[in-house]
Order: sequence, then structure tokens, then C-alpha cells
Amino acid sequence: MKREAKPVIIVMIEDDEGHARLIEKNIRRAGVNNEIVPFTTGAEALTYLLGRDGSGEASAGRHLLVLLDLNLPDMTGIDILKKLKDNEHTRRSPVVVLTTTDDSREIQRCYDLGANVYITKPVDYDGFSNAIRQLGLFFAVMQVPETD
Amino acid sequence: MVCVGFVALLCIVGGTIWLVDRTARFSEALQSARQQSGDLTRILSLAQDAETGQRGYLLAGADSYLTPYREATSSLPKAIDDLERNIGSDAAQHRRFDELASVLTKKLAELENTVNLARTGRRDEAVDVLKTDKGRELMERLRAIISDMSADADVRVTGLLDDQRGAIAFMKQLAIVGALVVAAVGAVVFWMVVAYTRQLDRTQFEIQKLNSSLEQRVEERTADLARANEEIQRFAYIVTHDLRAPLVNIMGFTSELDASLETIRGYVDAPEQAAIVPAEVRNAALEDLPEAIGFIRSSTRKMDGLINAILRLSREGRRELKPERIALDALLRSIADSIQHQVVEAGGEIAIDGRAAPIVTDRLAVEQVFGNLLDNAVKFRRLDTPLDIRIRLQERGPRVTVTIEDNGRGIASQDFERVFDLFRRAGPQDRPGEGMGLAYVRSTVRNIGGEIQLKSELGRGTTFVVALPRVMRTASGVSQ
Repeated sequence: MKREAKPVIIVMIEDDEGHARLIEKNIRRAGVNNEIVPFTTGAEALTYLLGRDGSGEASAGRHLLVLLDLNLPDMTGIDILKKLKDNEHTRRSPVVVLTTTDDSREIQRCYDLGANVYITKPVDYDGFSNAIRQLGLFFAVMQVPETD
Repeated sequence: MVCVGFVALLCIVGGTIWLVDRTARFSEALQSARQQSGDLTRILSLAQDAETGQRGYLLAGADSYLTPYREATSSLPKAIDDLERNIGSDAAQHRRFDELASVLTKKLAELENTVNLARTGRRDEAVDVLKTDKGRELMERLRAIISDMSADADVRVTGLLDDQRGAIAFMKQLAIVGALVVAAVGAVVFWMVVAYTRQLDRTQFEIQKLNSSLEQRVEERTADLARANEEIQRFAYIVTHDLRAPLVNIMGFTSELDASLETIRGYVDAPEQAAIVPAEVRNAALEDLPEAIGFIRSSTRKMDGLINAILRLSREGRRELKPERIALDALLRSIADSIQHQVVEAGGEIAIDGRAAPIVTDRLAVEQVFGNLLDNAVKFRRLDTPLDIRIRLQERGPRVTVTIEDNGRGIASQDFERVFDLFRRAGPQDRPGEGMGLAYVRSTVRNIGGEIQLKSELGRGTTFVVALPRVMRTASGVSQ
């Protein structure tokens, strides 16, 4: 409260451009106007989040919210989740896992590793857009801590 | 080989019996020959006694001399009978015997005549008879005949003894040869037994070796199977998820298209546009596009259904099975109760009979299998007949079988295998469903180490036989 709140950046890690577009559209429809930074590979996303040196200092002072798909071409989302939650600077940033995988063991693992929300992408579009919009409403009221 | 030994033994035994028999006959013959000699000597002695008595009487005239004469004449007939009996069937001896008998009769007649003459006081007449030498001649003939017959009897004794010696020698040889053969056979048989035992030992050893390597091979194969199974499950899981991702896009952008179309439709359909917008544009916006979008939607939905079905199947395969003791009759009863209202609605009944000891298996799997089968029985009943479902429990060796027999519409024989295939159905397609049920049932039954079989007659009913192991087996081995 003492500092002026910086806008929250939504980092979207999603290799399927169609999905990325649909997610973005629905977030916007929910009235969320925050900046969305999209990545299609895990490596690029990690570089952005933890910096080239992987120290995480790049994110110091940022307000981040991560939308994470588990099935990425170069690595699994689980690896990214682990790295984010292991890093001093990014571990408090909320991570929303948004993926097609609905295996209960996978879900459990994500929560064990510190994922904040796990959402299965429904094929049914109404369900899908509903889920994203609710997520958007959730973003609107969510307090995202500044990373340090 | 053993036969040869047996034959040799038989020969020895036969030979011995023959020899004993022969010895018995030999003894009899020997005895009669010896008695014959004795009889001849006795006859001669008696004849001499009678003659001595006659001579004494004629010389001294004293009656005391007649005693030996009388004793001899009275004993002679019995001696003659004995001799005749002892001669037996020997023809030459018989001829001589007849002569002996006639000479003896004549001699006795001569003696009696002289004795009678002397007793009646005509002693001189009797001495005259004696002087004719006829009596002496008769006596000499008698001696000669007896001597001949004695010699003959002696020859017979010698012959018999020779024969017997020959037979004994032959028997001895036979026994020696036989014993040698038996010994040889014994040796060969012993050798064979030893060889056979050795071979048996070797074979047993090989069998043991094979057995252990077989077990190892079975273990390897089981591990291979478990790996393959896991791979398939994993494959199905990945494929379904990867198929889902594009489907999300198709559905999503179809909806976006639909939303955009709504805007266009509002514009095209507005009354003030009616004059400006060409008919084909109106058609496209109001009919063709919505129709196309509708087909895309329904197809995508169907595809999603199929993918979900495969996903369910793969998830069931990946689910960790929890073996526990389950009383099948109670479980079947509770499943039957859960569909009771449908059964009653169809005017039917479910009968459960037979019993089986509890088995160790996964409860959820068994519930789903029998639940599916009973649902099918109700779903595919014949509408013109009251529903009749019979469930039978039987113990069969290491397995327990559950037979579910219905009187439903049945399955044609060419579809027996098809109905177990994923997404395949048979018969009239007038009931909702994805064609998943039996594929799922079979996959689940196999997963817990069981097997399912189907018998059916179109229009008569279907019988499913589910055989479950008493203790659950999975591809990765026996549970617990």
C-alpha cells in the first residue's frame, strides 16, 4: 500500500496459438485490460521470467500472474512450475495451470508444486469461455504481490 | 528280453515236472520188474518144495512129508497171480508166463497123481510114474523158463536204470542251460534298469532345467506384456490429449464464427437492407453458414465424445487396482437391486442362483463389468416378452464363473466379436450409446485377469460368461 500499485502483467505460456487467442479474447471480454505477454515455448517464457542468468532478478518488482499450459513442445509445464516456485523472486506469483490434461495424479502434482489454480480446458466452448471469464473476474479482485 | 528269461524258466519248470513224472513211472516199473524176479524165485522155490515133499512121501511113506507139499501147492496159485500182475503188458514175458503156467499145471497134476496113488496104497504105480522121468523133464522146463524170465526182468531193470540216468543227465543239462539263460536275462535286465534309471535321472534333470528357464521366460514375457500394456495405455492417453487440443480450437473458433455471423445476420436481416442485399448473400448469411456451423459443431461434439470414451478406457487401464475380498453373490444382488425399477417397469425379474466362495479382486472393476452387462440386458430387451435375466454363479477350478443369461433381442453370430470392439454396435441402432460398453467390459475383465465369452441367438437372448480368477492376476503378476 505504501508504494503505488503497478499493473499486473499476465504471462501466458501456451504453445497453441488458437488457444492463446481464445484465452485472450475471453479475458478481454471479462473486462480485464492488463497487459498479456504470450509465449509459445517454455524456454522463451523462462528467459522472460527468470532472466538470461536464471536468477529471477529480472522479475524483481514485477507483479506477475502466470497462465501455464502443461503440454509444451520443448518442456513440460511442470518443469516451469517447479522453477518458478523454487525461485526466490517468482515463488509468490500466482500460477494458473490451464491445460487439456485432466489426469488426477497430474493435477495433484501441480498443486503439490505450488500451483494456485488448476483448470482443465473444456472442449465445449461455452464451458471454456465461461471458465476464462470467471478467471478474468478472479484476476480483477486478486491481489498479486510484487515479486522481490 | 524278459520274455526269453520267462520262457527259459518255463522250460526248466516243465522239464522238472516231466522228470518227476518220469521218475514216478520209472519207480513203478522198477518195482514191478524187481517183484517179477522175486515172484519167479518164489514160484521156483515153491515148485521145488512141492517136489521135495512128493519125493519124501514116496520114499518114507510118512505123512509128515506131505506138509511141505501141501503148503507149496496152496501158495502157488497166489504166486502165479502176483507174477501175472507184475508182468503187466510185456508181450514176450506174457508168452513165457503162459508156458510157465501150463508147465506148472502139468507138474502139479503129476505130483498130485503120484501122491494120490501112494495114499491109496498103490505106491509101486506111483514109483513107476516117477520112473518115466516125465516129472523131472517138466521140472527142468520149469527151471529153464524161470531162468529166461528172470534174465529178461534183469535186462528190463538195467534198461530202466539207463533210461533214468539219461533223463537225469538231460535234465541237468536243461537246468544248467536254463540257469545260464536266466542269469543272462537277469544281467541284461539289470543293465537295462540301470541304463533306464540313468536316462530317467538325466531327463528329470533336463525337465527341471527347462522348468526353471520356462519360469524365467514366463516372467520375461509377463514383464514384456506389462510394458506393452503400459505403452498402449500411455499412447491412448497422449493421443487423446493431443487430439483434444485442436478440438478446443475448432469448437472455440466455431463459436467465434457463430458470434460474428450473428452480427452479420442482424445487419443482413434488417428490414431496411432487404432491397440492397442480394439474395445469395442473404442465403449465405441466413442458411448456408448456420448450417455449416451446425455440422461442424455436431461433428466436433461427437469426436469429443469418442475421445472421452477412449480416455475413460485408458484411465481405467491406468487406474491402480485395489484387490479385496468380495462376495460375488451379494455384489450381484446389489447391482440387480439398483436397476430393479427398470426391470419391474419392463415386467421382468432377475434371478440369481448358485454360490461361490468370495474372491479377491478389484471391487470397482467388478461392479462396472456386471453393471454394464445388466444394463445392456435391460437396454436391449425384447419389447414383446417380459424381461427374464438369470444370473448363475459357479466355481470352476481356480476360477469363478458368472453367467448372465437374458431373453433379449440377441446378437447375430457374425457380430459376436464386433460387439466387443470400441465404438462398434450391432443390431438395430434404436438405443442411445457410444458402442463403448462391451469394449470397456472386456478391457476391464482382462485387466483383472479374467475372460469374457458370449453366446447368443438372434431373437432369443444372449448369454455372457465371465470367468474371474479366485485371486486377481494382472499383467504385472499375481496381486498381493
